[in-house]
Amino acid sequence: MTDTIHLKAQLQACRSKEDTFKTLVTLSKTLPRLSAEEKIEDNKVKGCESAVWLIIEENHGLHHFKADSDAKLMRGVLVAILSLVEGKTLADIQQMDLKAELAELNLSSYLTSSRTNGVLAILEKIQVPKQ
Amino acid sequence: MAFDPLLLRPLFPILAQSAYDHPLTYLDNAATTQKPLPVLDAIQDYYRHFNANVHRGAHFLSDRATNRFEQARDTVARFINAPEQSHVIWTKGATEAINVVAYGLEHILEKGDEILITSLEHHANLVPWQQLAFRTGARLRIVPLTSNGEWEPEFSHYFTDRTRIFAATQVSNAIGASTPLKTMIDLAKQQGAFTLVDGAQAVAHYPVDVQALGCDFYVFSGHKMYGPTGIGVLYGKNHALEILMPYQTGGEMVRHVSYQATEFNVLPYRLEAGTPHIEGVIGLAAACDFLNAQDRLALLAWEQSLANHVYTRLHKAGGIEIYSPEKNTTLVSLSVPNIHILDINAYLDSQGVAVRAGSHCAHPLMAQLGVAGTLRASFACYNTMEEANRFCDVLLDAIDLLNDE
Ligand SMILES: Cc1ncc(COP(=O)(O)O)c(C=O)c1O
Repeated sequence: MTDTIHLKAQLQACRSKEDTFKTLVTLSKTLPRLSAEEKIEDNKVKGCESAVWLIIEENHGLHHFKADSDAKLMRGVLVAILSLVEGKTLADIQQMDLKAELAELNLSSYLTSSRTNGVLAILEKIQVPKQ
Repeated sequence: MAFDPLLLRPLFPILAQSAYDHPLTYLDNAATTQKPLPVLDAIQDYYRHFNANVHRGAHFLSDRATNRFEQARDTVARFINAPEQSHVIWTKGATEAINVVAYGLEHILEKGDEILITSLEHHANLVPWQQLAFRTGARLRIVPLTSNGEWEPEFSHYFTDRTRIFAATQVSNAIGASTPLKTMIDLAKQQGAFTLVDGAQAVAHYPVDVQALGCDFYVFSGHKMYGPTGIGVLYGKNHALEILMPYQTGGEMVRHVSYQATEFNVLPYRLEAGTPHIEGVIGLAAACDFLNAQDRLALLAWEQSLANHVYTRLHKAGGIEIYSPEKNTTLVSLSVPNIHILDINAYLDSQGVAVRAGSHCAHPLMAQLGVAGTLRASFACYNTMEEANRFCDVLLDAIDLLNDE
């Protein structure tokens, strides 16, 4: 997976919506795809117009994430989101202002409450996984 | 081509802006159209010069407001060739108009009666009937499309002596196909059914004549025909409107109230509880005037030529599934195998091209087409050939960028 600092630099360098689009397409290629067995209803994040699956595993208190989507840009966004939270404790993750961090990455247009994407639902599932 | 959309552009100043440094290319007209200056001016004028509640106070402003409000009813009646202005009921939009009818007819339905719709319906002309069927024990039946998107050659058997209500869209918002309305309405009438036409996608494009259609009810929304949001119309024949139980009660719709009983007002007021959307009504009448001042058939021919041009170019380009008819439609609905429509939509947006990607409030139709959603470019009178080409160019670029090698 692309390392976080590099990813941040890439996204922050985007000067236009088109740049962000192209960067997300590039990032999307770095997301390992889930298997058919993992893409089950239980792992689906509700509230996304594209299908999004998210699997959270806990190991010695650290949270590890796997995710996939049928839409490419969403896979790019997932790479960005997971790079922020991967390998952290739930307590750490809950302290983060993920919306602000994504906005810093030029991804604020993915944070609208519009029905066309479910990034807020993904963040919710990451920060409050038991729901 | 005799018609020049550039002559209309100055009336739509909103279109003269850029989106992310690209010229804004607005091709989401089936969702809502932009509003011309005369509509904006009419709304301003109302608030600046004659704002007052209607049908209530006897004073200078209230008289002016009431006159303009009732003149607007006359304008809309003539716009759809309704015989009487009292046959025009104001609603919030097509959705509310259909709900007014679905609730209003509940008392005529019995268990085992049939409500018939088609497989092209928007959820607005499906869910109210389904819920009505649940409440009454009636059966919701569907006149289906065949797998290649055509009407079954023999659909008359769907119209039975149990059919009490037949409701159909004139034009599909999702794929732009039209229904064989006249034939269907005649079949429904032979069975003594009430007929409702959802004209939401038709009024901006086709001159409408409700008497020629012969339907009992005709509904549409102002915002899809260059008018304001929040205003729509329920047209009904007199006997059809009279049979409706009022869906809402309150002020304006009553003649006399005591604690024991209420005497309802006459049509159209009986079906218009509460203070109406006065500015919306004024704006809608201005939108009718705007359309009446155009050569409607020339506008239609232009819009269809844009859709046909896009169809032809994309068909030639190959690799694109098009769900719209080739001709006689004002929109193009498509998908691209193995590429998500939301990804294409994001690229179009980044280039300032506004379209709609999704299920278009028609889940059953999408299921029948075997897709989760489609990407829809829908045209209005102010769109140019350059914009139609721009849509094709950017779409083809998006496909290149998103294709997995
Ligand atoms: C065919 C059709 N019917 C009904 C509606 C509902 O219109 P409104 O949301 O304005 O009530 C729409 C709007 O998209 C439509 O396209």
